[in-house]
Amino acid sequence: MTELIERDEATAEPPTVELSMQQAINRALRVLLAEDPATLVFGEDVGALGGVFRVTDGLQKEFGDQRVFDTPLAESAIMGMAVGLAMNGWRPVPELQFDGFAYPAVDQIVNQVARMNYRTRGAAPMPITLRLPSFGGIQAPEHHGESLEALFAHTPGLKVAAPSDAAEAYSLLLQSVRSDDPVVYMEPKARYWDRKPVVLREPTDPIGTSRIVRHGRHATLIAWGAMVHRCLKVAELAAEDGVELEVLDLRWLKPIDTAGLAASVSRTKRAVVVHEAPLTAGLGAEVAALVTENCFRDLSAPVQRVTGFDVPYPAGPLEPQYLPTIDRVLFAVQRTLEY
Amino acid sequence: MAEENVTFTLPDLGEGLVEATVLEWQVAVGDRIERNAPLVEVETTKSAVVIPSPKEGRVVELHAAEDEVVAVGAPLVTFAVEAREPQAGIVGRVPAEEARPARRVRLKPPTD
Repeated sequence: MTELIERDEATAEPPTVELSMQQAINRALRVLLAEDPATLVFGEDVGALGGVFRVTDGLQKEFGDQRVFDTPLAESAIMGMAVGLAMNGWRPVPELQFDGFAYPAVDQIVNQVARMNYRTRGAAPMPITLRLPSFGGIQAPEHHGESLEALFAHTPGLKVAAPSDAAEAYSLLLQSVRSDDPVVYMEPKARYWDRKPVVLREPTDPIGTSRIVRHGRHATLIAWGAMVHRCLKVAELAAEDGVELEVLDLRWLKPIDTAGLAASVSRTKRAVVVHEAPLTAGLGAEVAALVTENCFRDLSAPVQRVTGFDVPYPAGPLEPQYLPTIDRVLFAVQRTLEY
Repeated sequence: MAEENVTFTLPDLGEGLVEATVLEWQVAVGDRIERNAPLVEVETTKSAVVIPSPKEGRVVELHAAEDEVVAVGAPLVTFAVEAREPQAGIVGRVPAEEARPARRVRLKPPTD
């Protein structure tokens, strides 16, 4: 445990370590389990196996099977238990093994987790962080590539986070679990193995803030989760053509950083939202509406959306066609530039 | 690509067998072997069977000589197999990173 809280006393800078996103999440969980004995990690195969993606590897060994434990394959029971534990003073961090299997627990999430604080006039806050391996990009079978952010962001009472890299995953998870409100924490599966030197920072920005990942002046690409990485690639390619794209990582999908969005788009005058979920009633529509409400006079072009299609998430071989491709994003950028 | 050693232990080839005698190795140390290619013929109290290779790789060590009796669960052969890093979990595949992503659309900077 000591390595986690080790600091260079002279500079008080947190150490830089080479980590994948799955390992960064693992580190965050270790910090959280160590600092609060009320924190519990549970879900299908998170204990002995260490999670399908090894995110919870070694946690049961370190913290014991009373605090890190396996559950039956029953999503509604996992979330129902989290509600009961939260009401009794625990700080549950349940994992639902895959986005598409969150649907059986939507009743608990929407009707219990999200409402209990409101229903009890603050007597029963739900300090639950639901870890949900989310989005596609790993050619998994059916029900393993869904993007449910609009469903959860639409539910009053829930906060929704979607980190885009290892460092973000670390600090956003600390923030989510320490928050007394329920947070749906959507982990982009396609970025789990993304490995780079990261600084494990304590969160400094408040909940509900976005971040600019790349500065540019011709248009703002707005994305979250794995699509942030794709937008960075697009920005690199656009730079070859002399087009400077700003990339904004929304990271909190509820509450949305309206001020941050507006500041960026007012500067660049053009916006393209990129997400994996289907187009209709997706979160891109919300972002486009916020941008229009706040930047109407500054906009040079209507907000463009590049999204998945209005079809069930496809099987692995069709994923590259379904997910917003580099060309589709570039094409949308070109459209905004031509207005 | 880096290699890592993997040791294959003698499985229970019937129901409740405890040992087997090595009759004939179909490979030698240093050989490359495909997955499912014949590896070794062994004889149990029930029958003589050829065990197919569970791995693709290079044979590093044979843990028993011919005519030697090996207990179920004891090391039989060690392979050097290509280490596949990073590995996905049980579900899905690690996405391949394109060094230079393909593009067809070219952009024109705005005039304003």
